[in-house]
Amino acid sequence: MNLVGISINHKTSALELREALHLNRNEIVELIPLLKESFFSEGVVISTCNRTEIFGFPHNYSLDISPIIDSLLRSKLIDSIKPENFSKFYSCGAVKHLFSVASGIDSMIVGDSQILGQVKEAFEISEDLGFTGTVLRRIFDSTMRVGKRSIKETNIGDGAVTVSYAAVQVVEKIFANIEKKSALVIGAGETGELAAVHLHDKGIGKIAISNRTTERAEKLAVKVHGEIVPFQSLQERLNNFDIIISATSAESLIISFDDIKESMKKRKDAPVVLMDIAVPRDIDPEVGKLENVFYHDMDSLKIIVDQNLQKRRDQIPLVKKIIMEEMVGFFAWYNALDVVPTIKLLRSFFEGIRHDELDKIKNKVSAEDFNKIEEMTRRMIGRLLHNPTVKLREFAESGANINDVTTNTLILKELFNLGEAPQNGNTFNGNEISSEDKIEKE
Amino acid sequence: MLQTIATINIILPFLYFVAFYAYAYDFYSEKKYLSNSKQIVLIVTLIIHTFYLISRTVEYNHPPITNKFEIFSIIAFSIGFSYFVLELLTNIRGTGAFIIFFSLIFQITSSIFIEHSYIVPEVLRNRLLGLHVINALLGYSGITISAVYGLLFMLLYNNLKTNKFGLIFNRLPNLEILEKLSFYSAVIGFVLLTFAIVIGIIWLPSAFPNFSYYDPKLIGTLFVWLIYGVGVSSKIFNNWFGKKVILFSLIGFVVAIMSLIITNTLAKTFHSFY
Repeated sequence: MNLVGISINHKTSALELREALHLNRNEIVELIPLLKESFFSEGVVISTCNRTEIFGFPHNYSLDISPIIDSLLRSKLIDSIKPENFSKFYSCGAVKHLFSVASGIDSMIVGDSQILGQVKEAFEISEDLGFTGTVLRRIFDSTMRVGKRSIKETNIGDGAVTVSYAAVQVVEKIFANIEKKSALVIGAGETGELAAVHLHDKGIGKIAISNRTTERAEKLAVKVHGEIVPFQSLQERLNNFDIIISATSAESLIISFDDIKESMKKRKDAPVVLMDIAVPRDIDPEVGKLENVFYHDMDSLKIIVDQNLQKRRDQIPLVKKIIMEEMVGFFAWYNALDVVPTIKLLRSFFEGIRHDELDKIKNKVSAEDFNKIEEMTRRMIGRLLHNPTVKLREFAESGANINDVTTNTLILKELFNLGEAPQNGNTFNGNEISSEDKIEKE
Repeated sequence: MLQTIATINIILPFLYFVAFYAYAYDFYSEKKYLSNSKQIVLIVTLIIHTFYLISRTVEYNHPPITNKFEIFSIIAFSIGFSYFVLELLTNIRGTGAFIIFFSLIFQITSSIFIEHSYIVPEVLRNRLLGLHVINALLGYSGITISAVYGLLFMLLYNNLKTNKFGLIFNRLPNLEILEKLSFYSAVIGFVLLTFAIVIGIIWLPSAFPNFSYYDPKLIGTLFVWLIYGVGVSSKIFNNWFGKKVILFSLIGFVVAIMSLIITNTLAKTFHSFY
């Protein structure tokens, strides 16, 4: 198989390089015709904020993929990326790498749940642009199956692996019905926004945003259907909230021990969760000593994240087992494709002999007799080849034991001197048949 | 029949052990092999236990409340049964090991020491006494379960306060649910204990004309009843949450156990039947 894969990811390059090479949907749509024309007969381009991957079947059999990389870099007008920043994969290695990417074990955050959707979307773009064939489609069927099985059969995607999601996980360990609780998010920056969105997605009953700059607070409040709490009157309003997440860039504390003590009095000691995910801290850590006050900062939430990441890493061997199973399944199907061309060769070999012999007697017998002989030899060849044809076809259709398939086709070729049958792959030397031809049944 | 009773008497501790092991394994292991089968094991155990208690009643011609170890078997059953009902109502399946452990201990003790007696004191054949005992035992099961959930609440509370995110954090339900389970069990326990006390007081003058209101059993029981009464009303009327309510449940349970031990072993009381 001549599948080629090129990858730039978190293992091969720094974030700024990966970001520079990131291709949005429109850029992928523009790149595909270029790849189609110059390099690949079929292929796919996957690009996320952490990786850009190109897979394809080259027009010409060549291990030199630098023209593809050059073309990619030219399309993005980047000269800071070097060929060393790319990983290259060939044949089985390319398939295995694609499966690993889709399963999330190759992601920067192991078990990333978004990558499978991104792979699917990339394939759909190629499909829409007519850049896919039978083999690539089959590879992607297997890829999607790897991704789905990894999620279903292992715990690769379990547990919170970001600080803001870990904060929500702790909240869920304290309150039973988050939809009946109210939350205040202080700080409308990236971290605050992420926490607010997580709470909103979890169905929090009421959410409010407080930020030094009101415009940013308003923007986030609209996004999560929340209200605004003026930053100046923050302390007086604390008692109204069961969950307070603070993520500002303030240089000093904005919520003191006394603020929370006063708030707890007003709340009649009803429990409150304080998540201080700011560096430096926004909330006095001493508040954790108060009854029914659950205070957590970055360090404590990081413990959860690290534990969950370790649990996910422990699942990698199980995912690799799924990848191997799917690779075995895929290559059994793929290698069986060789059978049909062999049948064609065998039939044409026998037909050739028959026509030779018929030509020899054509002028020696009457036309009526010739027709009878022709009919008889046609039936004879048909009967002779019936059993081997059926048996080999059974192998092809069932994707049976690859060793049996290979052995049988090789013996057949050897016995009848059928010559070099076309290799798997699409266009190595210009004489091969297409993948569609290979699975053509007759 | 005697042979059947003797056989089940031996089998029951093993069944409770299997149920306990299944729940404990499910709690400690994050794999889900036993998440459904553990409930089936508990159901089978409870059915066999029910058959055992009925068989004893039929064979000995009196309910199995005439000696300490018959009572222990009923306590084992009522704790297991109360937990099973709670599990069905709440669908919270992660805490069974902590409750069934008590059933296991009571049943092991019962199976080892139980006596097989056809002769019982006349005072224990009274119908009101039967009602009194059933209410008291179910009440004590309620407060036992309440105390276990209270303990689990305290464990998780302290884990959260000290940033320990291990097994307790990962496998227990959240604090609000633990508090609710503890509180509801305490309410059920308190109500049934109230019935048991009222029935006891009605029955007492006719059974023991010379009893004293200063009897240690009466004082101990009243004390337990008051602790739960104050705890339950504080939660309902003052909207208390967490440790304060849980402490009432834990202290009430400890006092109840102490009261049982003292009145059954050390003090002289009318309540010593065995």
